[in-house]
Amino acid sequence: MSKSTIAVIAFSLALVGVAGPARAQYFPGGGGGPRPTENIEGFTVVGKSAVAAKPNLVEIDLDVAASSELTADAIVKYRDAKRRLRDAFGALKLDNVSVEERGLLVDQKGMMNPNYFGGFQPNSRTKTEVQLTRKLVVKASNVRQMDEDGLLQLVGKLLDVAQDAGGRVGGQGNFNPYYYNPYAGFSNGLIRFVLDDFDKLQEEAYEKAIADARARAQRLAKLSGVTLGPIVAVRELAVPGDRNFNTGNQILGSDDETPRKRLESSKFQEIPVRVELLVRFETRSDSENKGRAGGQ
Amino acid sequence: MRSAIATLLLLPALAFGQAKEGEDGKVSNDQPDRPLQMPPASTEVKEALDDFERFRRRGAWERALKALYSIPEQQATRFTDGADGFIIPVARKRRDLLAALPPEGQAAYRLFYDAEARKLFEEADGPSELANLERIYSAYFVTSVGDNAADRLGDLYFELGRFDRAADCWLAVVRGRPDTDLSPALVSLKAALALFRAGRRSEFEQLQSELSDRYRDETLTVGGQTGAPAELLRRLTGDEPMPTGAETPPSASADAGLDLARSVDAAWQMRFADSVEAGMTPAELNQWETNPLSAAVPAVAVDGTTLFANYLGYAFALDLKGGKMLWRSAPFHHLEVAAMQDQARALDPGRFAVVASGGHVWTLGRDLKDPNYLAPFRLTCRRADGGEVVWQSTDLSDYAQVDLTGPPLLAGGKIFIAGKNSANPQQQQGPPQLIVLAIQPHDGKLLWKTEVGALRQGQQFYYYGARDTSPLPRLVFRAGAVYVDTHVGVLARLDADSGALDWGYGYRTDPIQGQNRFFFFGPGPTQEPTTASSPPLPFGEAFLVKGAQSDRLQALEPNRMKVLWERPIARSARLLGADDRAVYLGGPEVGALDLKTRELLWSTRVPGGSMDGRVLVRPDGLWQLTPRGVFEIDPKSGAVRRIFRGRDLGAAGGDLLLTDDWLVAVSNRTISAYPRRGAGGDSAATNKRASNE
Repeated sequence: MSKSTIAVIAFSLALVGVAGPARAQYFPGGGGGPRPTENIEGFTVVGKSAVAAKPNLVEIDLDVAASSELTADAIVKYRDAKRRLRDAFGALKLDNVSVEERGLLVDQKGMMNPNYFGGFQPNSRTKTEVQLTRKLVVKASNVRQMDEDGLLQLVGKLLDVAQDAGGRVGGQGNFNPYYYNPYAGFSNGLIRFVLDDFDKLQEEAYEKAIADARARAQRLAKLSGVTLGPIVAVRELAVPGDRNFNTGNQILGSDDETPRKRLESSKFQEIPVRVELLVRFETRSDSENKGRAGGQ
Repeated sequence: MRSAIATLLLLPALAFGQAKEGEDGKVSNDQPDRPLQMPPASTEVKEALDDFERFRRRGAWERALKALYSIPEQQATRFTDGADGFIIPVARKRRDLLAALPPEGQAAYRLFYDAEARKLFEEADGPSELANLERIYSAYFVTSVGDNAADRLGDLYFELGRFDRAADCWLAVVRGRPDTDLSPALVSLKAALALFRAGRRSEFEQLQSELSDRYRDETLTVGGQTGAPAELLRRLTGDEPMPTGAETPPSASADAGLDLARSVDAAWQMRFADSVEAGMTPAELNQWETNPLSAAVPAVAVDGTTLFANYLGYAFALDLKGGKMLWRSAPFHHLEVAAMQDQARALDPGRFAVVASGGHVWTLGRDLKDPNYLAPFRLTCRRADGGEVVWQSTDLSDYAQVDLTGPPLLAGGKIFIAGKNSANPQQQQGPPQLIVLAIQPHDGKLLWKTEVGALRQGQQFYYYGARDTSPLPRLVFRAGAVYVDTHVGVLARLDADSGALDWGYGYRTDPIQGQNRFFFFGPGPTQEPTTASSPPLPFGEAFLVKGAQSDRLQALEPNRMKVLWERPIARSARLLGADDRAVYLGGPEVGALDLKTRELLWSTRVPGGSMDGRVLVRPDGLWQLTPRGVFEIDPKSGAVRRIFRGRDLGAAGGDLLLTDDWLVAVSNRTISAYPRRGAGGDSAATNKRASNE
C-alpha cells in the first residue's frame, strides 16, 4: 500500500469522524410545528390572529410583446405598443391610475420547453425571431373608500382602455396546457386586489397573536398545575406579505418582480392580515414558586 | 515548405467556401427540402446545359450547340433554375443562352441551324403557323429568320388580343436582335403599342422615350397614318387611359367618405348564429362554442344589390337594401351536429369561398356530413335569383381526383381556381400536384388544367379535431396572365388563355416538416396562430409577395422578371393593401412599411390581432372589424382614430365590405349593414360596384 493511499484513507476516516458531531448540530428549519422528540421545557403554543382590511389597490397585468425577423421591426412594434397603452391610460386623466413597467425580456419567439408531451422537437432549421416582452402593471390606488359601483366603473374603464389599446389582459399569454411547468401559476384573473399598507394592521395582528398564545399557554398552565413564566422563544410561522407563505412555498427565481410585502386577492373583499407565532413560555412549579418566595 | 504551409492554411477556407445549396439565400427548384417543386427538367437536360457551358468556354461551338440541341423537345417545357430566383422553362433558358452567344458563336449557330429554321418558317402557314412560329421563337430565335418569326408571332398575338405576349415577341427583337433587317423603329412602335394595351406602364414609357429620341427623324406608315414614330404612337393610343391590366372592380378607395364618427345603428342585421344555436341546451351550447367551426366567418360576395354568403357550405343570398333573405341552400339547424364530427372539425373554414357575377354565384365548399377526412371540396354554380344548382364539379368527370383549394377568381370570362391532384399513394401515383384550373363559368367545362408543381409535403395525419392549417394558394389576374402564389415557396405565372406555365419565382419558405409523431387528442404542441395567406398585392407594375410561411417580403416586376427589393419580415405578417407611400401589413398587429426606405413606420395592436379577415384599406384610413367593434386607424400614424362599437360585439371579428350605400360587417355570428354616412353625395353613386374582391 502506497503512502498516498494511506493518506487518502486516513483523510476519509477523519471526515467521517467530523461529520457525526456536525450532523448532530443540525436543527431543521421550515414551517413545521414543534417536533415531539425535542426536549422542550415549558409550554410551546401557537398564537394566531387575523385582522382584515379592504384592499387599497387594484392591479391589472398587461403584456407588451413584439417579435419580428428584424430586430429593428420588433423594436418599432414594441415601442408603439407600449406608447399606445401608456397614451391610452394617460388620456383617462385619472390621478389615482398609474402604469408601472416590469423588466424587459429579450428572447426568441417560439422558445419552448421541450418537456411536453411526445418529445416532439420543433424544427430547428427555421430562423430566429427576436421577441421583446415587458409586463406593464396598471395600478389604481385609493380604492378602499370606493363603493362597489364606483369600483366596478373604474375597473371596467381600465379593462376597456387596455383592450382597446391592444393590450393583452390577464397575462399568461404564452400559457400552453401541453407544457408541464410545476412552478407556473394557473391564475387567469383579469384583475387583482392588493393590500400593501398594512403595517399598522400587522402590529395589531402581532399583538393579538401574542395575546392568543398567552391565553392558550395560560390555560395549559392552569390545567397542568404550574405557573406560566416569561416568553423564552418565538418563531414566526406565518407572516403577512411573505411570498413563501402566500404562494405555497413556490420556488421563486431571480426574475420574480412582484413586490414582496403585499397581500393579494382575486375578489373585492376584506383581506385578512394573518399572523401565526410559535411561542415558548417558561413554566414554574408551585413548590419552586414557593421556594423562591421564601428565599426572598 | 512555404507552399505546403500556405496550402494547409487555405484548406479550411476552401472547405467553408463550399456553401451548401440554398445557404447563400438563393432558392433552387431542386432543393430537396422545399415544399413545392415545379416540373423539373431531367438530369440529362442539366448535363446538356453543363456540357454547353463547358464547350462554349472552349469555343467548341459545334459540340456546344449539339449539346444544347440534344435536349428532347418534351423537356423544353420543364423547369430549371434561372437568374435571381426565377425558375424558367428549359426553352427559355435555351433562348437566353443562344442570345448571349458571342458573334463567332452566333455565326456558327446560323451555319448549323439556319436551314432548319428557314424550313419551319416557310411552312408556317395555315393551322401550323402559330406552332411553327412559336417553335422558331423558342428554339431558333438567333437564326436569320428568328427576328421575322418573332415579329409575325407578335402580329398574331396582337390580333388575338394577347397584348402581353405580343409585346414580349417584339421586345425580344428590339432588345435581343440588334442585327435585324426589320425596321427597329416599326418594331419598337408595335412593342410600345402592345405594352400600352397590356398596361405595362414603365416599359411603355421607356420605349416611348426611345421612340422620341432615337427614331425622331424616321417616318413610318401604320394603319394608314404616316408620321414620326412618337407622333404615331400618340395618335394610336389617343387620349384613352392606359389600362391597368387587372380585371378587378374599381377599388373602394376611389370613392370618398366613410364616416363612422357618429354612433349609428345597423340598418339591418342577419343573425345566422342564432339559428344555429336555437334550441340548444346549455351543455350543447358550451360544446358548440368550444368547436373551432363556431368561429367560422362566412365568405361573402356582393353582386349588384345582393349579398351572397357561403357559411360552412350553406349558401344563402340577402337583399342588401333590407337584409331580407332571398334564398338559402339548406336551413342552418343541426349544423352543429355535423360540425361536431372529427372530420368536420379538421376543416379549415377559410377554404369555403364564394364569387358572384352576372346572374350566377359559385360556391366552394364541402359537405360537413361527409365522413371522409380527405373528401374533396366542390365548386357549385347556382342561379343568383333562386339558388338552383346549375352544375357542380363533383358531377363532372374532369374534376375527378381534384381537390379544389383556395378562393376562386373570376376574371377574363373564366373562373380560375387552384387545386390538388389527390393522387393515391397506395397506388404509387406519386406526390400530389398543385394545379391551376380554368373553368367555363356557366357550364363548368374545364378549359385547361396546368400543373404548377409537385407538393413534397406529405399528407399530414389529422385526428380528433386537429385542423388542417396548410396555407391556401391565392390567385391574381393581370394583363392576360394568372399569377398564383402557392404559399409554399413559389409564385408562378400562367398564360390565362392557354394555361401555359411561363415561369415561377422561388422565395424562401419553411422547409417541409417530417411527420415524426402522430398527434392524438388535440392540435399538438405547435399552437401558434396562423395568418391567412394573402394574394400577391399589385403595386404599380410590380407585385408584393409574402408567403404565409415565409420570412421575406419581396417586390417583383413580373414582366421584366426582376426582383426590385426584398426584405426580412415577421413570418406572421400578411399583406393588407398598399398606397403610394406604404404597404399595410396584418398579423398579430397592423403595421405600415415605408415603400421607399422599407422601414416599419408604425405598428398598432388591435383586439384579436389581424390574422385574417378583410380589412378596408383606403387613403383616408384603415378599418378592421374586431371583437370590440370597428377600429379606424390613421394610415399615417397608426393611431386608432375612433372605435365604432356597432352591433357586432361578442363576435370573433371578421370581414368588412364597402358598397356604395353600406358598410357591411360579416362576423361569425351576424351580417350587419351600417349606413355609409359619407360627406357629399357619395352614397348616390350607382350600385355598379361593391368591394367584391
